[in-house]
Order: sequence, then structure tokens, then C-alpha cells
Amino acid sequence: MATAKDFVGRINQIDGVAGCLLVKDDGAVLGQTINDPEVYSTLLQMSSNLSREIMTSIGFSYCRHLSFNRINMQNFCVFPIDNYLLGIVQKADCSVAFMLERVYQLIGKVSTSGETKIS
Amino acid sequence: MIHLIDELKVIPGVIGACIVSSKEGIKVTNLPSIFKSERLNLVGKHLLKLYSAGWMSFDDLTDVSLHFDESVVLARELEKGLLVFAICDPTFNQNLLTMSFNLLHEEFKLGNFSAVPVSAPLNEDVAAPVEATISGTLQDLLEEMKSALGKVLGPMAGFVFDEVLESWVEQGTPDFSRIEELIKQIDQEIVDRDKIDHYRQLISSVLQNFQKG
Repeated sequence: MATAKDFVGRINQIDGVAGCLLVKDDGAVLGQTINDPEVYSTLLQMSSNLSREIMTSIGFSYCRHLSFNRINMQNFCVFPIDNYLLGIVQKADCSVAFMLERVYQLIGKVSTSGETKIS
Repeated sequence: MIHLIDELKVIPGVIGACIVSSKEGIKVTNLPSIFKSERLNLVGKHLLKLYSAGWMSFDDLTDVSLHFDESVVLARELEKGLLVFAICDPTFNQNLLTMSFNLLHEEFKLGNFSAVPVSAPLNEDVAAPVEATISGTLQDLLEEMKSALGKVLGPMAGFVFDEVLESWVEQGTPDFSRIEELIKQIDQEIVDRDKIDHYRQLISSVLQNFQKG
């Protein structure tokens, strides 16, 4: 079972990740490698709730991630993982597809059958 | 206005687009009619809130993209309270659509928009959510059946399932004793015999587990 700090540390090592944070769905920050985690934590919660509303309204089954795309290309991605939310600030010059693949791989390792293995 | 979003629909993988106003609701849409107007209105309102939340954190925000299992939704605010969004197959070319959004945005700024009637009817009565009339355990089963349909029909599965489910609920009490009727109606939507067999195979264990309790 990975600790939150281990998980955040490993996500942060992925090429293309400038920083990240992991919060519980009640907003409690479990680990971060970026400044102002409280600001990002609020955005994580709001965006996760709204994406769920959109999902229900239109009849989709699962939101893999959402992304706030910026002119400076340092996009902010939100990944719902069971009762947790992972936020990632992307590096401007990264390969997004590669970064997403690695992030999904790591999420897959801690999240199986709806049970997230983070302590 | 419709010609501008029709240009978006030409992009491979784009199912359709919609322009929605926070005050007036849907301005124009070319999404298939299976996307009910009241649902698109709700989606538009939530996207406007999501965009505003993002804008508060990032003053250089351009688009918001939501990557669901079946589809991707890409949204751009054209001006305060007016948003365009496209629903796409997961394999769509995001760079191409973003560039098209840029062009559309420029056209909008130049005033090359004129309001036209919305292609989907707006004044339909909003029905009570289907989920409200179905018991919790049956709801779980239906979710699994819907998910299995996604493996057979792809991105449109969610909409097809919801339509059939709505009609099934209208036809009688939504309980397990009528589940075969629902499956037959889904079969009619799938059409292809091999896919029907595959779908029935996928849901057989789910149905057995439900019966065992």
C-alpha cells in the first residue's frame, strides 16, 4: 500500500509533470509538490463535482480526467481516483500523451476494483 | 451561427457542437437529436460554472476539456456567459479542434454571428429523472448493463441506453421481472446479430449475480 507522499513523489517524477497535489474528496491536502495547495484544492473539489454533474446530465459513465488548458501551456489536469483527487500542473513543453499514459499507469496501480490503496 | 458550428462537425471525431448562453440557454446546436435539449442546457450551465472556476485560478485559460470513457467534451467561453462546446469521440484530434475554436472565436469577435432558431426543441417538459423511479439494487444492475453496452456500441452507448431505459420505464413498473423486455429493446438498437450475442454474453453473469442476490 502506497503512502500519499510516495504516490505524490512518484507522480512528480513523471516527465512533463511540473508539480502535483493529492487531496481527499473533503478537500484535505494529503501531499503536494506545488505552492498554494489550498487554491488548487478548492479548484479540484469544484471541478470534480461539476464534472460529475455533467457526466450525470449527459449520461456518460466515468470521467478519466479533465484539463484546464492555458495559453502558457502549463495546463492543470484533474484526475478523480475513487475518494481522492489528483491535480497535476503540466510542463509547457511536455508530451501530453506520454505524461497522461504514465499517470494513468500509476493510478491503475493504486486504484483497483473501486478501492484505492493509499494510506 | 449554425454554419460556424457546422464547420466544427466536419472535423473527424467531432459528434457535434452547441453554443449555450447562461441567460437564454441553447443558442444553436448541431448535435444528434438523441442529445435532448434540456440535458444540453444543464451541461452548458455546468460547463459555464466550470469555466468560471478555472478562470478564477488561471487568467490565461483558453479551453476546458473533460475526458470521459466514451467521449471528450471541449468547451471555450466566447464572451462572459456564452460558451461553445463540442462532444467528440475519444480519438478526435484536439489540436485541430482547438485551432477551429480559435477561428470561431475570431469570427465571433468580428461579429459574424446571427442568432437562428435552435435546431432541437427547447420547450419540452423536463421529465423526472428515470433513476428516481428505480430501486437502488436494480439501478446498480442497469449501470452495469449500460457499461457493457459501451463495449459493444462505443461512444453512443450511454445515450442509446438512456433512451431505451426511459421508454422501458414509461411502459410499466421498472423491476427485474421485465428485464428481458428491456434487453430486447436494446437488441433492436444494436441491430447487428453478432453484437447482440456479444452484449447478451457480457451481461449474462451480471444478470445471474443479480438473481442470486
